[in-house]
Amino acid sequence: MEKLKKTEINYPFLEKPVLIYERENGHKIVFAYKRGELLNISSWVKTGSINENDENNGISHFLEHLMFKGTTKHKAGEFDRTLESRGAIVNAATWKDYTFYYVTIPKGTDNRNFNDTLELHADMMLDPIIPPEEIGEPFDINNTEIKIKRERHVVIEEIRMRKDQPWTLVYNNVNKNMYTTHPYKRDVIGNEQIISTIKRETILDYYKEFYSPNNITTIIAGELNPDDVLPKVIELFDFKGRAQRKNDIHNVEVQANEEKYSEIYSKINTGFLMFGYLGPKADKLKETTILEMICLILGEGQSSRLNQNLIEKVKNPIYNIISTDYYQFRDGGNIFVQANFKPEEKDKAINGIKEEIKKIYTEGISERELQKAKKKLKAAFAENSETVSDIGETIGFYMTVCDNLKCVEEYLKVIDTITTEDIKETAKQYINADNAVISVLMPEK
Amino acid sequence: MNKYILENGIEAIIKNNKNTPRTAFCLFFKLNRDEEKPGLYLLLTRLLLQGTKNRTAEELANELDEKALDFTFEKKADYIRFKLLFLNEDVQETFEILEDIIENTTFNDYEKEKIKIKGELESDLDSAKIQAQDEYYRTIFKNHPYGIGRKEIIEGIERITKADLINAFNELKYNLQKNISVIGDIDEQIITELMNKRLKSLKINETLDLRIESAPIEKERVSIIEKEDANQAQIFQGWLFPSIFSEEYPSIILLNTILGSSGLSSRLFLELREKQGLCYNVRSVYEPYLLSGNFFVYIGTEPKNIKTSLEGFKREIKKIMTEIISEEELENAKTNAIGKRSFYQETNLLEACLKGYYEFLGLGFDWEEKLIQKIKETTKEDILSIAEKYFSKPSALCILAPKKYLEASGLL
Repeated sequence: MEKLKKTEINYPFLEKPVLIYERENGHKIVFAYKRGELLNISSWVKTGSINENDENNGISHFLEHLMFKGTTKHKAGEFDRTLESRGAIVNAATWKDYTFYYVTIPKGTDNRNFNDTLELHADMMLDPIIPPEEIGEPFDINNTEIKIKRERHVVIEEIRMRKDQPWTLVYNNVNKNMYTTHPYKRDVIGNEQIISTIKRETILDYYKEFYSPNNITTIIAGELNPDDVLPKVIELFDFKGRAQRKNDIHNVEVQANEEKYSEIYSKINTGFLMFGYLGPKADKLKETTILEMICLILGEGQSSRLNQNLIEKVKNPIYNIISTDYYQFRDGGNIFVQANFKPEEKDKAINGIKEEIKKIYTEGISERELQKAKKKLKAAFAENSETVSDIGETIGFYMTVCDNLKCVEEYLKVIDTITTEDIKETAKQYINADNAVISVLMPEK
Repeated sequence: MNKYILENGIEAIIKNNKNTPRTAFCLFFKLNRDEEKPGLYLLLTRLLLQGTKNRTAEELANELDEKALDFTFEKKADYIRFKLLFLNEDVQETFEILEDIIENTTFNDYEKEKIKIKGELESDLDSAKIQAQDEYYRTIFKNHPYGIGRKEIIEGIERITKADLINAFNELKYNLQKNISVIGDIDEQIITELMNKRLKSLKINETLDLRIESAPIEKERVSIIEKEDANQAQIFQGWLFPSIFSEEYPSIILLNTILGSSGLSSRLFLELREKQGLCYNVRSVYEPYLLSGNFFVYIGTEPKNIKTSLEGFKREIKKIMTEIISEEELENAKTNAIGKRSFYQETNLLEACLKGYYEFLGLGFDWEEKLIQKIKETTKEDILSIAEKYFSKPSALCILAPKKYLEASGLL
């Protein structure tokens, strides 16, 4: 048996500590015990648009689609059919820092489904063959005579679908303008030109490079005994000496000192806008937690400042919807304020948000607001511990984006240490009303 | 799970799920008449969070957030549901606030809430998919309340008066059929006493259900939305199907699993997406209501694929209507559909909603086991029979796309 480095993490709201086993090749296996009928098995790969460039943008996501197209042992479709016929939810997702594949399945009598799921999942992760007939030949995107359409077209349809979503349009625009050189500036899904022409060999090379053992964490959440299961996971995740890969280091970008405004147009009737800010790296637990609280206080729920001051207390509000969002990334997260508004009131809509942002770091917040945000964060964490799939996702995020599951153990304690002064100082540092990246989507004139 | 009858006659089912930090509470009100003014119940449920005689809207919002209490009041096709989720230690405060809302909602800000609702619905309609889906419901449930969409509410909400709201709320409180489900790590006696104390003013006064079934579709209905800048065509095609009370319900679940609801292995997914590369999203959906149901297929595709997609739908529908499925496909569909049902009860809230809904339907909270048994007993012939019976009737079709592609497909 190979040497394993074992770590225990006290995960709030779970009955037993979460166990991490790190193998000699760097592959990590995590067990989270949760009673119930369902099991969640997932593998998180430390790659996404962070490892892409202008030539291969979208390759991580395209590969995610192609991973379902069969292995030496199992033909395309067999994985989905076998698992879904037992009631499983099977899927995958790609984002800036990671790509993950998951199966959530009823465990069945005597955990009957576990072994089969693990075998299929490990096989998919380790031996994707990407048959040429499944990916389809490269083609000219302007050629309207293409008859045989395969997975390239599926992804191109996904790109097309996103072009009809106003929030996606405004998000992509703000995201692009927030960065100068960092790979995060690209849309994770890529574009039609690249997807229609990228070669199968390029994708296979990308797979071999980034799906290295040290880049992968496999997580098993459910009512299982790790001692019974660990040897099987190790046996099935046989990387056959595949090399480790050291991740590239990128220059972390900081917010510009001036406002960056851009406006795009579409055939719509209302206006959409986003303010974007660059935040700290995801492993800076205290700072990220403070920013989570700032987002809560500013824009989450009916009692938040933006909702109260710009909608609820105004006789004729110019905003239809207003909220905040916080995405955490390895090389620094994004804080967003987003609104849908009456387009004839565009300037007022922008200025109203600026005023509210400014108040956070000039006037500060009340103790009552602070306590409210603390309670909401704790309740949200409790909620994310209710299902095996949410537990799997939380662990996957911390293992992959922060490289540190200890953050989970410390999270609730860190919340308790935060003060109103922390909120004011962190807001001042990260969300200046005068240097936002602003993207506005307006109705075509 | 135990069933209690509260002092006001409302039936409550309670289940103790040990070691769960949050308790879920659902209160169902069975609607028995159509809204005279579209948006009435939506406006009413929204206003329940807009202040009472004791709490302003802001105070109420703050109090809920400070305790992380999740209060959702929602209008569905056949019922209104109060859905509460709270940390176990906050049970007393939760019911005190609920009582205050039931007894003391003021409806004062109803004009303002209308403006907010209209703005939100207008924003929704900037999504091509939502616009097309709204039109689909309008088309299949023509002149029936199930077909009322965002457009009707935007147009009709202005006519709602404060008196309408008060009357509708009184009807809700004092007349409509109600039932409750509570699931969490709770003491059944404490929760029963609390409900007797805090919900005492609620009454049930059996009244006739004045709603009627939607009329059958006599001939094909087609609705077209021209949207010049659409990157994808949005296509919905549906048929009227029976309600949840139908004996055919288990067979329809399996039909839906096989055709298009089962993720990555359904027939529509394999044929239209995996083999033909026509789309990212394709699926079938069965929505059973009390008075009827609808079963639709959906695809979002490049506008030039409209004809190919409709032919694809036609081919798959015809196949399932005329060719008996294999034993293997039947067995896979059964284990798939039954396995997926574990997800419906994974949290206290999901379980309270599901079991409360079964009680609301009068089927009993333990209906899930019976349904699973019926799914197991379904035969290949049952599926063929219902597919033939319902898909052979005229359908409702809604397509959103740029004009030139609609013309090229012969739809204009």
